[in-house]
Amino acid sequence: MANDSMEWSFQTAQGKNHTPLSLENVHVVYNIRRGEVQAVRGVDLELHAGESVALIGESGSGKTTLGLAIVRLLVKSAQITQGKITYRRDGREVDVLSLKPKEMREFRWKECAMVFQSALNAFNPVLRIWDQMLDTARSHGWNDRQAVRQKSLELLRFVQLDPERVLNSYPHELSGGMRQRVLLALSLLLEPQVLILDEPTTALDILTQRTILDLLRQLKEEQHFTMIFISHDLAVAAELADRIATMYAGAVVEMGPTEELFYNPRHPYTLGLIRAVPTVAGGFEELFSIPGSPPDLIDLPSGCPFHPRCSFATSRCREEEPSLTQVGPDHYAACWHWHDVEKELERTPLHRGVHAIQQGGAS
Amino acid sequence: MAPIFELRNVTKAFGAGKERVIAVDSVDLTIEQGEIMCLVGESGCGKSTTGRMVAGLLPPTSGQILFKGQDISKLDRESYRAYRRAVQIVHQDPYASLNPTHTVREIITAPLLRHKKAHSRADAEKRAIELLEIVDLTPAEDFMGKYPHQLSGGQRQRVSVARALTVEPEFIVADEAVSMVDVSIRVSLLNMLSRLKNEFNVTFLFITHDLALAKYFAWEGRISVMYLGRIVEEGPTPRVITDSRHPYTQALLSAVPEADPELARRKRRMELRSADIPSLLDLPPGCTFHPRCPFFVEGQCDTLTPQLEPIPEGGRVACPIRKSERIELIAL
Repeated sequence: MANDSMEWSFQTAQGKNHTPLSLENVHVVYNIRRGEVQAVRGVDLELHAGESVALIGESGSGKTTLGLAIVRLLVKSAQITQGKITYRRDGREVDVLSLKPKEMREFRWKECAMVFQSALNAFNPVLRIWDQMLDTARSHGWNDRQAVRQKSLELLRFVQLDPERVLNSYPHELSGGMRQRVLLALSLLLEPQVLILDEPTTALDILTQRTILDLLRQLKEEQHFTMIFISHDLAVAAELADRIATMYAGAVVEMGPTEELFYNPRHPYTLGLIRAVPTVAGGFEELFSIPGSPPDLIDLPSGCPFHPRCSFATSRCREEEPSLTQVGPDHYAACWHWHDVEKELERTPLHRGVHAIQQGGAS
Repeated sequence: MAPIFELRNVTKAFGAGKERVIAVDSVDLTIEQGEIMCLVGESGCGKSTTGRMVAGLLPPTSGQILFKGQDISKLDRESYRAYRRAVQIVHQDPYASLNPTHTVREIITAPLLRHKKAHSRADAEKRAIELLEIVDLTPAEDFMGKYPHQLSGGQRQRVSVARALTVEPEFIVADEAVSMVDVSIRVSLLNMLSRLKNEFNVTFLFITHDLALAKYFAWEGRISVMYLGRIVEEGPTPRVITDSRHPYTQALLSAVPEADPELARRKRRMELRSADIPSLLDLPPGCTFHPRCPFFVEGQCDTLTPQLEPIPEGGRVACPIRKSERIELIAL
């Protein structure tokens, strides 16, 4: 599409196990007046080609900061203090954290695009959608107006919008759901390999949300996009993710295949989240909240940061922070007591899966 | 005993001429003492406007709102004040509804003193501590001197509820009261509200866009589904959730994402004829859902406005065509 100015090193062999994005021990710190906010603390993540990974967790868990770190759009007060982010395409790899600003701009749309939560803020209010599409293409050296128009029309049709009408509209003339879809089309314009979506359906009405979820599923299943979903909503993860990473206090505390995480969680925090969220079609179940509130990221609790809220906590948890260990096939959890979580689930199984469906609406 | 609230043909219009918008259209709704009534629907369906009218914050354009059998627009000064005290509203955003320059102590004691629920400062202080304990802000003494910004979202929402409780309300309108709170804390807030219902016999109008929350909180109560200003279906929660009859309710239930991958996979999709919601400024004739409804019947749905009719399974449905048809949303 455009000339390549990034410095690539030829290294990886491309195949089925191709890994477009690897994060190694990534740390992000915000410097504020009160001190250092440890927003991301040592995250390792391997994103395989064609898979979608959901980062779930509550506000302040570090999931959005991590997404912003990958495309290096962090605010000035934030700093990536440690770690390595490696991006690969066509058998070559590049160190994302050492890219120069110009290279980074190119990387951001053409290789790895991020779709933000507030779709209105992402647009320039005085430009028509067409001009924003064209601007984006031009700033990446794509100057063929006709081709850009063709691609834009095709993408807008894909996101189920009336393409001609939308291209001639200003952002304020579109509804929230339409803007979110335009943003998705815009992010696909330069055919990135990796798509990062931050709360892609939050604040949208149910039926609009469904349209977006179905589109994303289509991207995943038919076009095999590699995607990272950032969401506080477990339902979005259940619908779209192949793998889930639960984040708490800036760290990944559990990671595994979606079904494993939902049906056999091994970290007490993941279990707590699942037990706090009702389903609609799955019969009536009792819900439990997680006691306490999220930790102060400036002054983290000692040991495992979840221990003050955890019913499994022992003195060891107050002293030593556990790291991720394997608890099942492709399934990792950072908990000293994951065996106890397993036993607990044998005693009181989750009201999920086929079991819940067969019970239907029985109370 | 008269129901605590009865809405009779209540309509609320905003603006005039070409800009006139009917936010709530001919709503009939009865809420019995001690029950939980849940209003669900998407943005712009009129659920919050209905809540504000019930709380006395907005007058209806036409129709009557009866509080314990009496038309609130015809109450004398004294009875009107009693009604306004008896009905409290808890808003979505506790950041916006608490005065940032007041401590929790001031936020709770001021209404106690103003409404003569406490006879002295010391009395108000004691009562404030009791109220904070009721909403699970313990140890209460620690919270009294705090400002809203020193509290988490969930704690702020508890303060809002404690403030509403100062006047010993019989009825609380909870407008998206837990929507902004983190998942892990939501349930404890809902359980706290349930306790108010059980221990203090508070009746709830619970307004939400979240069907899963509605199901959980109002399982023993009722759900009313609103679409473009009208109630399209109403009934006991288990019936509405497991055996909905109005195509709009069914569309919502089939579209809502599930926090369970297996359920999500097995759920039957309902294809709508159009993804776009009509503008309130230009409503379709007949049933306003007809341009999107997969069961659309020409000549009937686009001409006649369906009225809510009772069904034997419980509640009422505003769809003469589908009200007797059961559909399974989950494929086993």
